[in-house]
Amino acid sequence: MTLGFFGGGPALLVSNTMRVLSVADLHLGIESDLARHGLHFRSRSRDRLERLEACINDAAPDLLIILGDLKHGVPYTSRQEFREIPGIVERLRSLVPVRIVPGNHDTGIERFFEPEEILPKEGAVVDGTGYVHGHMYPDPSLAGHLIIAGHHHPLASLRDEVGCAMRSPVYLFSPANEQCLGFPPGDRESTRVLFMPAFNELSGYDLVRTVRDPFSPLSRCIRWDAAEVFLPDGTFIGPVSSLEEYGADQEP
Amino acid sequence: MEQTRNLDPKVRECIRKRGFAELSEIQSLALPQVQAGKHLILIAPTGTGKTESAMIPVLDALLKGRSAGFSALYITPLRSLNRDMLQRLSWWCTELGITVGVRHGDTTATERRKQALSPPELLITTPETLQALFMGKVLRKHLRNIRYVIVDEIHELAGGKRGAQLTVALERLAEYCGEFQRIGLSATVGNPGEMGRFLCGERDFSVVEVDVSKHLDISVEFAGDSFEKQARWIEEAMDRHGSTLIFVNTRVTAEALGHQLFSRGDVDVHHGSLSREVRIDAEERFKAGQLRGLICTSSMELGIDIGHIEHVIQFGSPREVSRLVQRVGRAGHSLYETSRGTILATGFDDLLESLVIARRAKAGEVEDVHPPLNPADVLANQVAGMAVEYGRISRERIRRIIGRCSTFSMAGDLLDRVCTQMAEHRLIRLDGDEVITTLRARRYLAANLSMIHDERKVQVFDMVSRRTVGTLDESFVVGSVYTGAVFITKGQLWRVLDLEEGRIIVEPARRVKGELPSWEGEQIPVPFAVAREVGELRRTRSFPAYDAGGPSDRFASAFLAEMDRNRSRVPDDRLIMLESGQEGVVCNCCAGHRANEALGRAISVLLSARFGTTVGIEIDAYRILFRLPSHVAAADVRDVLVGLDPAHVEGILQIAMKRTALFKWKLVQIAKKFGAIDPDADYERLSSYRLIELFENTVVQQEAYRELFSVYMDVPAAARVLAQVRDGSIAVEIGRLSILGADGLFSSRDQMPPPLTDQAVLSTLRRRIEGQEIILACMNCRKWKSRTVAGRVQEHPVCPRCGARLIAVLKPWEEPLYAVAAKKEKSGEEKAVEARLFRNANIVLSGGKKAVLTLAAKGVGPEIASRILATLTDGDAFFAEILKAERNYIRTRKYW
Repeated sequence: MTLGFFGGGPALLVSNTMRVLSVADLHLGIESDLARHGLHFRSRSRDRLERLEACINDAAPDLLIILGDLKHGVPYTSRQEFREIPGIVERLRSLVPVRIVPGNHDTGIERFFEPEEILPKEGAVVDGTGYVHGHMYPDPSLAGHLIIAGHHHPLASLRDEVGCAMRSPVYLFSPANEQCLGFPPGDRESTRVLFMPAFNELSGYDLVRTVRDPFSPLSRCIRWDAAEVFLPDGTFIGPVSSLEEYGADQEP
Repeated sequence: MEQTRNLDPKVRECIRKRGFAELSEIQSLALPQVQAGKHLILIAPTGTGKTESAMIPVLDALLKGRSAGFSALYITPLRSLNRDMLQRLSWWCTELGITVGVRHGDTTATERRKQALSPPELLITTPETLQALFMGKVLRKHLRNIRYVIVDEIHELAGGKRGAQLTVALERLAEYCGEFQRIGLSATVGNPGEMGRFLCGERDFSVVEVDVSKHLDISVEFAGDSFEKQARWIEEAMDRHGSTLIFVNTRVTAEALGHQLFSRGDVDVHHGSLSREVRIDAEERFKAGQLRGLICTSSMELGIDIGHIEHVIQFGSPREVSRLVQRVGRAGHSLYETSRGTILATGFDDLLESLVIARRAKAGEVEDVHPPLNPADVLANQVAGMAVEYGRISRERIRRIIGRCSTFSMAGDLLDRVCTQMAEHRLIRLDGDEVITTLRARRYLAANLSMIHDERKVQVFDMVSRRTVGTLDESFVVGSVYTGAVFITKGQLWRVLDLEEGRIIVEPARRVKGELPSWEGEQIPVPFAVAREVGELRRTRSFPAYDAGGPSDRFASAFLAEMDRNRSRVPDDRLIMLESGQEGVVCNCCAGHRANEALGRAISVLLSARFGTTVGIEIDAYRILFRLPSHVAAADVRDVLVGLDPAHVEGILQIAMKRTALFKWKLVQIAKKFGAIDPDADYERLSSYRLIELFENTVVQQEAYRELFSVYMDVPAAARVLAQVRDGSIAVEIGRLSILGADGLFSSRDQMPPPLTDQAVLSTLRRRIEGQEIILACMNCRKWKSRTVAGRVQEHPVCPRCGARLIAVLKPWEEPLYAVAAKKEKSGEEKAVEARLFRNANIVLSGGKKAVLTLAAKGVGPEIASRILATLTDGDAFFAEILKAERNYIRTRKYW
């Protein structure tokens, strides 16, 4: 198995016996929700679709897996979503077979997909790799696999010597605590989790905040001491602890 | 009093009752012009009866032709001035039987309702409340008969966006009532004609000006550079002169000086941070003679009446000529009396600057006021205003209305771009040429009547303890807080890590060199012309010609004599000195704050691009400090300075400013005026690091640049300096840090990040690799191994046991391999391990420390290491190679 990183997505290509492209957290329809909170921007769904099409062109996958939170409105489906999502899903289908692992924002997603396109919320193993949105305990069948998850929108701040920060969405890779996840013990490879950055360019959640206050079963059940951070293009940044440079020169 | 002959007898009676034996100069000049119905700019110092000179003929005319609704508007920039004016004009109006009212933000709902039912003939108001008048159906009706609009303190408004908004409002007004007479009251400015065009657009106007300079008696004193001595001098001056206004430049100085003088019991402090009650109390007591001295900031510059002032002291350089004239002009004032003022200079730069400003004031060389040209956010605000006012209005008509203002007379396609942008944020709808109001537009307008950005409180969030430690005013944040800046709040030092809308992310800081930004932030920039003349004075050293007294002359001459003794060349208007010191390179350039800001930022971004390092800059009117790593020398700064094409400055600055916190804040403020962001928006919803990108290449971004390049920095002046460097009329020399270069209070600080965002990635990588734990193992004696971190390894590691340099580098988890290599009998597999370690050690033998660092990287074995070392790269490029290798490795199964 090899991984391909498409920084322009961000999208991830897992190549084994087939080529599976995954993206997470598109949050289509986010604009109508932002407007309700005082931020008024035009819909950028089309731009997102174009970005995703470019990734599909570059990666030439056999399958596209949407790792949840395709839509944004919860628990309702907004007018914007009704207007935009059918066309976008149709367009994706015309390019490549599509599967979705529903996320917490995907209430009412059945309306937009064929039943066979919807994978279980608890996740599924496809071609040897586990896929899950990340807001629920993953199905035990994912034990012993690399699990690719969305939901966390990891975002990291990097600093140079003088302290100027650059912020970027990142991948986070870590061994899982199988007992915590409720996986039965067994003789197999260990379970690893790879959190994907959000595809939606307006979303991002400071990774350090997730470390301090894990808000999901998955983030509570990984070994943060062994967790590693990567940029969307696959550049290895370092262990999570290397991000916590903050306060390095503070007084005791 | 022959000018008053054709006034109404009742008005003449009032003039008599007021005890005006004769009209003041400005009054007798202005009266016939106003009566002739001309548009007019009246320029005279505060307190010379300027208001009456406009109002006597206006009141007279109101008596003669009465009509329903408002007949005259009197607009001032401040509510406190409104109250003051109401007091002054009420007397006249009561005597004459003219109704008068005031309407501004503090006016009660009852009062407003009363005004809607029976509008006063004379309405005193602010530019913002004028905006509100267009919103109500009833009030709009009352606008139909307006014949006079008087704008007081117009110089205060004209230079900013409030003024631009006001001129559009006046043209909107003309849509209801046709042409009306326009009268602007102004303090002394260098360009009265521009004030006239600002107020009247293309219409003809006259300027009536009283020359203030001949009534000014200004001197410059120096009393030593300790604060105690300066305070004592002020006390003595107060005892000599009686009622004294003491102007200071910052609130902090006001408080400090107040603290020194409070014990006298006859001094109080007056500044904007104090509550209104406290300020009014101080004003009243000063007026009543209970206070001899009042320490104040610009809060006292405008015409609030506080009675007779004997003497004005300006503590420290006033920075601008207009400011000095305005401040000193507050003294004296029984019309022809001279105004006496003294500048107490506090240091070398300060003294020379004061001498120059005093000379210019006496010669009447006051600065120009520059109205903003085509401010897009004002236009957006006014388009929304007109959409609500009319419900539906053609762009053609809007174009006609704004085209009558000089501010927007050359707007080109700006209106269309603004409308498109607003429609994107759904503030208005477009239907062909028509602009249509929306439900949101009315709400927007209610919250955005003012172009003054409402002061929000900004949370200070400590990244380390993950809690909010306090709040700061938004204006302080914009002025003084940058990524990397250090400031004090809650008695502790903090370093800014990042700014998000609504909060500042900080970490505790240990210490910092130089002066810290205080609550003040209100930096008054020294204009280019003043700084150039200071440079000239440094060169000619003709202090007596500037009327410098004995102590001033001796101090300044002694300072320069010491420069000569130290063999330091004195930077002046024809010489830029680049001086190397411990903190970096000081570029001594007499060009004023705003030109130096532009120069400093442009040069630093070029330096950071060339050397791939962050460059910190600090700026004052006479120097730019570049904080540089040790390998960048003064000669490198000179090369950049000399090579900088004046025509490229603006383009470079666009790139440079984009990533600064200042730009981001400006962008947000302007975006609010376009309706993109509501005042109470919940920023947490949007990961704000991408906010800037949402406005890429839009009219919002363009306006942010326009404002930065015209308000915060002076790009044309910077280009002039560079042009003079090019043609040789300004020389550039290099020297050691001089007492002059080290002098001065640095106050504006920022950092220019290198243009590659990769820099942060490379830095992180470098830190990680240098901190990577490794094991050094001798492949010669095979009896020595040592655990260390890669960054600590010496250039060519040597085995302390056998002295060999054949050292392999192992990751901690590879340690067991060394035991394998030490075995006597080896299996085939074990032999392979040994061979690998040999290759590893051979690479270290030839590559030294670079090889060690390479082998410390993730997934880099001997093969990849030798490939990286073969690229013969160094520094960032070397680490970039490592980065590439790691990226390749982690795509493989082995990794995941």
